[in-house]
Amino acid sequence: MLLEKFKDEVEEILSRYPVKRSALLPLLNLAQREEGFVSEPAMRDIAKVLELTPPQVFETVTFYTMFNLKPIGKFHLQVCKSLMCALVRSDDVVTWISKKLNIVPGQTTADNNFTLSVVECLGSCGTGPMMQVNDDYYEQLTEEKVVRVLDDLARDGNCHLKSGPFMFPTTSGKSR
Amino acid sequence: MPTPSTTTETVTLTIDGQTATVPKGTLVIEAARQVGVMVPHFCYHPKLTPDANCRMCLVEIEKMPRLQTSCSTQATEGMVVKSSSSVQAQEARKMVLDFILANHPLDCPVCDQGGRCDLQDFSHEYTATSSRFQELKRVFPKEYFSPLIETQMNRCVQCMRCVRYCDQIMDVKALAPTGRGTLTEIKAFGAHELDCEFCGGCVQICPVGAITSRLSMYEFRPWMLKRTDSVCGYCGDGCQITFQTKDNALIEINSTQGSGRNNGDLCARGYFGYHVSEHPDRLTLPLIRKGDEFQSVQWEEALELVGQQLLDVKAKYGADAIGGLISGRCTNEDIYVFQKFMRGVVGTNRIDSSARYGHLNGVHALQRVQGTHRWSVSFEDIESADTLLLVGTNITETNPITGLKVKEAVKRRGAKLITIEALNPAIGSISNIVNLAQQHLGVKPTGFSTAILGLLKAVVEQSILDAELQGKAPAYFNAISARLQALSWDAIFAQTGLASDLFTEAAQVFGQGKKVVVLVGPGVLRSEGGFGMTMNLMDLLLITGKLTNPGCGLAPLAEENNDQGAFEMGGTGAVLPGGTSLGDPAVRENLSKAWGRPIPDTPGSSLPQLIEDAQQGKLKALFVVGENPLASLPPSSGIHSALEKLDFLVCQELFLTETAQKAHVVLPACSYAEKDGTFTNTEGHIQSVRTAIDMVGESRPDWEIFSALSVMMNNPMEYGDVKEIGKEIRNLLPGTRTLGPAPLPAQPDSSAIARYVTTDYQRDIAPRYQLPVNDAATDEITLQVSQSLFHSGKFSRKAKGLLQVEATGKIYLHPEEAARRGISDGDMVKVSNSLGEVLTPVGLRERIPQGVATFPEHFDEEIRQLLPYKVDPETQVPYYKLARVHLKKVVGS
Ligand code: SF4
Ligand code: SF4
Ligand code: SF4
Ligand code: FES
Ligand code: FES
Repeated sequence: MLLEKFKDEVEEILSRYPVKRSALLPLLNLAQREEGFVSEPAMRDIAKVLELTPPQVFETVTFYTMFNLKPIGKFHLQVCKSLMCALVRSDDVVTWISKKLNIVPGQTTADNNFTLSVVECLGSCGTGPMMQVNDDYYEQLTEEKVVRVLDDLARDGNCHLKSGPFMFPTTSGKSR
Repeated sequence: MPTPSTTTETVTLTIDGQTATVPKGTLVIEAARQVGVMVPHFCYHPKLTPDANCRMCLVEIEKMPRLQTSCSTQATEGMVVKSSSSVQAQEARKMVLDFILANHPLDCPVCDQGGRCDLQDFSHEYTATSSRFQELKRVFPKEYFSPLIETQMNRCVQCMRCVRYCDQIMDVKALAPTGRGTLTEIKAFGAHELDCEFCGGCVQICPVGAITSRLSMYEFRPWMLKRTDSVCGYCGDGCQITFQTKDNALIEINSTQGSGRNNGDLCARGYFGYHVSEHPDRLTLPLIRKGDEFQSVQWEEALELVGQQLLDVKAKYGADAIGGLISGRCTNEDIYVFQKFMRGVVGTNRIDSSARYGHLNGVHALQRVQGTHRWSVSFEDIESADTLLLVGTNITETNPITGLKVKEAVKRRGAKLITIEALNPAIGSISNIVNLAQQHLGVKPTGFSTAILGLLKAVVEQSILDAELQGKAPAYFNAISARLQALSWDAIFAQTGLASDLFTEAAQVFGQGKKVVVLVGPGVLRSEGGFGMTMNLMDLLLITGKLTNPGCGLAPLAEENNDQGAFEMGGTGAVLPGGTSLGDPAVRENLSKAWGRPIPDTPGSSLPQLIEDAQQGKLKALFVVGENPLASLPPSSGIHSALEKLDFLVCQELFLTETAQKAHVVLPACSYAEKDGTFTNTEGHIQSVRTAIDMVGESRPDWEIFSALSVMMNNPMEYGDVKEIGKEIRNLLPGTRTLGPAPLPAQPDSSAIARYVTTDYQRDIAPRYQLPVNDAATDEITLQVSQSLFHSGKFSRKAKGLLQVEATGKIYLHPEEAARRGISDGDMVKVSNSLGEVLTPVGLRERIPQGVATFPEHFDEEIRQLLPYKVDPETQVPYYKLARVHLKKVVGS
């Protein structure tokens, strides 16, 4: 059970909030970090700790597109489809990926390597079209670049074309 | 807020040119309603806190920038509001409708809401005939939602009323608005079907046809339905219901918002349990036993036989060889005529009713201490109480609507809740009242009496005492304190597992209360020592000086819908109509004058007494009306041999029940849906029951059958209709029958209190202030056979809707208790004690305390053989709901 496995972390999270249910998002993050998606047992566990009903947790999970309700592949390709990226043809990015991997948004490849999703603005509007793969950003995408990213990831589990995100100041004061 | 503050301060405003004066804090939309201006709305509902999410109720308010949502704006002095007179507001509403209709399907012809739909009505009013939208409509794939409730999410206007109702009113929180924006969809949990209280509240509150009842799906168009306002026949809460019928068929039941004692709210039994009356097994003709078989006969033959047999038994053995038993589900008029028939025609006082099963404990305690046989509080007092104490109620399942009053008081009005319940705080698919408690004293079902004593001890130790009364009745106070001092906290801990500081805290909260209501439920009233425990709770109110304060009092919860009426109509032998005593010659004399027939001066008897006398051959004939003692009482009561010994058993019934199968004659009675009359609810409020459908087959109202029998027995009590009976009762009991929107609570009688605190308490104070013997062997489990939310007696097992939710009995355990014994969900276990053994499947529930198992009484045909039986020495209430049992997993299951 998730909450037993991460007892200390859960307690630390709970200690941050005077009102229990405020800990809902951090606990969901924890659950997704562990399993790659938010499973029903995890939602039930979290409901129990926070004294909520499972539907109350479920409702929150569905509100945020960043939470996955189904298991996802090793790499989660999240293509931004919001306005700025759409203007620079994010539709094409989806098509390129679909063509290459033979999946449509919402699907996972048979080898469980890639899941394709379309998501709302990821804050990289200046460098669109773009996608986020797991925690990494790939920006100013072209078909060639997309193919390379997918190949690298399939082969090495990594790709040095990643370019972000650059939003968290490090302790040294510089961006990472 | 739905309930404006109780101050009388008012403000005056104008709405569409009309002047309205309303209490300060009133919402503009409500103020408008009061002067006849209906502001269109979806998300607003007077029961719920404003959410202002739909923007349908926009109005123009002078001096305010932009349009305002009238559902969330409070009226202020001098405000000038324009609703239909504002072009801007009208335009805005058209736009809101345009957005909704952009996605709403053209479903009206197949929608059960069509004809009573707010969206239809507003579209009609605002002539939204063309749309700016050309896009495709959103389409949600149809998903199975639940056996009783259907969703059609394409029709949803996303007002969130259902979600808010389920949370704010019910405290169930079973509905999840998933996703966001236009794609928001109401679901349960994941792909699971809805699992909840099935109160039907979301169905009733949905302004469109997005949530509907599956029981009536596609069977009607609203304008075809005939409405009949009546009262629910399932529990003592006495909810207002409206039967909706089409061509004499029951199509659905609902309750009008704001009406009745229930304010339009219902529980699953009331909302989905209405098919009993139309069950194919209904008796349609009288039956006479011929050997092992029953033969259908015409009424005349059956009545003649019953009349003759009763006269024969009377001639041969005397009138007291005949007994009667009537159900608390019958109307006041039925019960009144029955006891008049038994006393005045048959000539015996040996009658009893289902009030004996527990409700009498509460009524007798009230009568003894405060001289009233009704509550001295009403539902309104529960809602406005500042402190509530619940003891052994499991109120969600027994009296769900009284439970809503408690929720209202605690959740919305900040009342403090103290619970002494055999429940764990745990969230489940139905609400759990102890989750809302500030002070929860969790005990086993055998621990109520010790916990009550613990609370009393803490009250005395803290000196939370009424000094004035103490001055007047020092001996009473001393007797109580002395006995409480003799009880050690260690002993209390040993029996309850609760330390003294918990009691001390609860006592302090209790003591600080100005408006304190104590609710007592079946856990107390129906288990051993029930009368003593109820008396001790009266003591608690009395010594703390609460009892006589306005808004304070003890409220015993009636389980059957007319248990209170059964008592008041003289349905329990030793009590005559009006709650007066059979032992009082003056009362008897008056009544016999009014009736024009003598009242026998023989004693009344209780059901346990009738059983004993039948076993001993002293009782020869029994007239059972709507009761099914063979299925209610455990074998250990001796009911089987008692019935076997009778020379003559008549049952007047809807169905061929276990008891009726043993009868010599069975008379078909009609159900509450087929007759007129009144029920008296748990708070003592009398309400009208009305005929919704024709009588099934040859069935007749109970009173009519008694009346016909009296003619056969040459001692006619004739009534033209039920109104005549009502008139006779009113003349007999002036002042006690307040029909009307709300009851007038009885006032405690100071002379009764004085009598109690000077002498009467002495009678039984010693046994009441003793800890029960604790005979817990380590491996044993306390089995409690109890009421489920989804049923009522055995009766509701004929309701197809309720069977969809709960159709079989299981023994329920706490998951850890089960795990410790190597038992998993669904396993078969052997439940045994010295009385027998039974196999049953296991269910798991976190709200059940460890060391305890519960089993729904509605399915107890097997398990009740394990129940020991004991009779209260004072009130003759039979106790048979608890047993000590061993559990063993059946290997291979
Ligand atoms: S029927 Fe169920 S979901 Fe609907 S309001 Fe009642 S408890 Fe909630
Ligand atoms: S289902 Fe009905 S009540 Fe619930 S949000 Fe939709 S329209 Fe409102
Ligand atoms: S069973 Fe009781 S609470 Fe439920 S609807 Fe009927 S009277 Fe109301
Ligand atoms: S629009 Fe794509 S990152 Fe903002
Ligand atoms: S009714 Fe006022 S915003 Fe919905």
